[in-house]
Amino acid sequence: MSDFLQMGLTGVSLGLMYALIAIGLTLIFGVMRIIQYAHGEMFMLGAFVLYYWHAEMGLPYWAGVAVSAVVIFGLGAVLQMVLFKPLHGKNILYSLAVSLGLVLIISGSGQLIFGTTTKGIPSAVSGGVLLGGAYLSYERMVISAVSIALIVALWLFLRRSVTGLAIRAVAEDPDTAALQGIRTGRIHWIAFGLGSAMAAIAGCMMGTLLSIVPTMGFLATIKAFMIVIMGGLGSVVGALVGGMILGMIDSVVTTTISGDIALILSFVVIFLILVFRPSGLFGQNWD
Amino acid sequence: MEDLDRPHRIAWLALLAVALVVPFLVNFDLYLIHVGIIITFNVSLAASLWLIWTLGVISFAHAGFMGIGAYASALVLTKLGLSMWYGLWIGAFISGAIALAISIPLMRTRAVYFFMASWAVGEVIKRNFAYFKDFFGGWDGVFDIKPPVLDLGFLQIDFANRVAYYYLALFAVTATVWVIHRVNSSRTGMIYWSIHENELLAQHTGINVFRHKVICFTIACTLVGITGALYAHYQTYISPKTFDIWKSEFALVHLIVGGLTTVGGPVAGAISLTIVDELLRATGYFRTIFFGVVLIASVLLLPGGLETVPGRLRKLFQRTSGR
Repeated sequence: MSDFLQMGLTGVSLGLMYALIAIGLTLIFGVMRIIQYAHGEMFMLGAFVLYYWHAEMGLPYWAGVAVSAVVIFGLGAVLQMVLFKPLHGKNILYSLAVSLGLVLIISGSGQLIFGTTTKGIPSAVSGGVLLGGAYLSYERMVISAVSIALIVALWLFLRRSVTGLAIRAVAEDPDTAALQGIRTGRIHWIAFGLGSAMAAIAGCMMGTLLSIVPTMGFLATIKAFMIVIMGGLGSVVGALVGGMILGMIDSVVTTTISGDIALILSFVVIFLILVFRPSGLFGQNWD
Repeated sequence: MEDLDRPHRIAWLALLAVALVVPFLVNFDLYLIHVGIIITFNVSLAASLWLIWTLGVISFAHAGFMGIGAYASALVLTKLGLSMWYGLWIGAFISGAIALAISIPLMRTRAVYFFMASWAVGEVIKRNFAYFKDFFGGWDGVFDIKPPVLDLGFLQIDFANRVAYYYLALFAVTATVWVIHRVNSSRTGMIYWSIHENELLAQHTGINVFRHKVICFTIACTLVGITGALYAHYQTYISPKTFDIWKSEFALVHLIVGGLTTVGGPVAGAISLTIVDELLRATGYFRTIFFGVVLIASVLLLPGGLETVPGRLRKLFQRTSGR
């Protein structure tokens, strides 16, 4: 019983973190209809900003998370304006190719600049609590709380604030949104920066759990993509549900069978979801 | 190639002629011939991926199907002792059969979801090679895949010789590109392009879109299965890592840099980028960085890819001479 509780708790905390990465990706797709393949790279860079801030310079952890989010927001916004804006309205393949190039550039220069040795960020909190036989570290609790808070904040932002409503309007119908006086170009870079910043915060959170390397972005991209396809592109709820499914598969199958099978199984699950619901669980039919 | 106009036909024949005499020009330099063989593999990979693109989608499982061909052919040799002359066809058949079985559910997905679903398929193929250690050799891969010997009675050609293998690979890639060209310029090819342009409209004019998609995907995967078998017997060693997502992505890069509207695009892209890649081999991490820069620059600065270069030059020339 305690085994299952442990697996469940790990699965939920893992799922929340995955969802945090995936929501950024789904936001970017929903607004701009581009596949941001370098999303995991944003995750990696976010972790490295925190590493230099907190572990190298010894400055406070939480301020570092905020700094990392702001820096990556800026980077995402600049990338959108310089690289993705000219491709707006073209075939999705071109933006895919550009983001693929970004992956090569960022992870290549990451290995050059940061080095290939694994680094670690010291945790902000330590200790843990036994909960009905399952051990739950405070670190994981904090990370889950931050993930939930961010997801709720984003949800409220998209529902309540003027900018959030504008983002949703552009996602719904760019032309009509523009006719209503929404500056779609501005919404594009805001959404791109916001999505990237979410990935960066996820990177900061994961960075304390795992060791950080310049190549870690690729795995994050894979996970985010798997979640986004399961949940349906452009759907925040879908990303949350997809994250939970993937977190559970990872946690349960890895403990009971093996990590390799967990990965194969999650791909098979995705494939089956797509076969029966070709646009994901909560997705729309994008053309 | 009766449907090509003259400049195109001359260009293709010139390319083939150059490819035929290159070993003599480089004085049988083994390294350069190796590069030549790698180019032929990349060309067939990119060209067959382009065939799928004529449907309007890109499959990220393409390197995976190359892997299926390679593994099938390799295992036929190492487990059954049959040479590549059997393995080639068995590899192509298995690759095509699996493509047929998978594409039936896969083709239900559209546009972006197809990218993602095919990408999941590619990853599952790779992971399966890695997971079943007893059969596929796990991450260590399969060793000792001997190149074949052609025994014509009066003449024996041992394809362990690189120059001989170069001509074999060149023959294969020529055949592949020719088949793709023939398919593309036939009525079927026009149907593929009509699906590419507007799937709904194509369906309404009475085209069985689903069936054509499945058949096109199967043809492309069969062709790439042959390439995979040739690859395995050339390298004599394969591992799951050889056929991962990056190989499909680089094929996509070749396509985009080369151009997407004719089969000349992937050929030009694969040749030029493989050469660039080899030139940069010594520069370490800069190789990846530079590759990324080339990709982004070509998408932003040369929309349409290398295949538009002749047209652009002509336009430039006409404009300057007109003034």
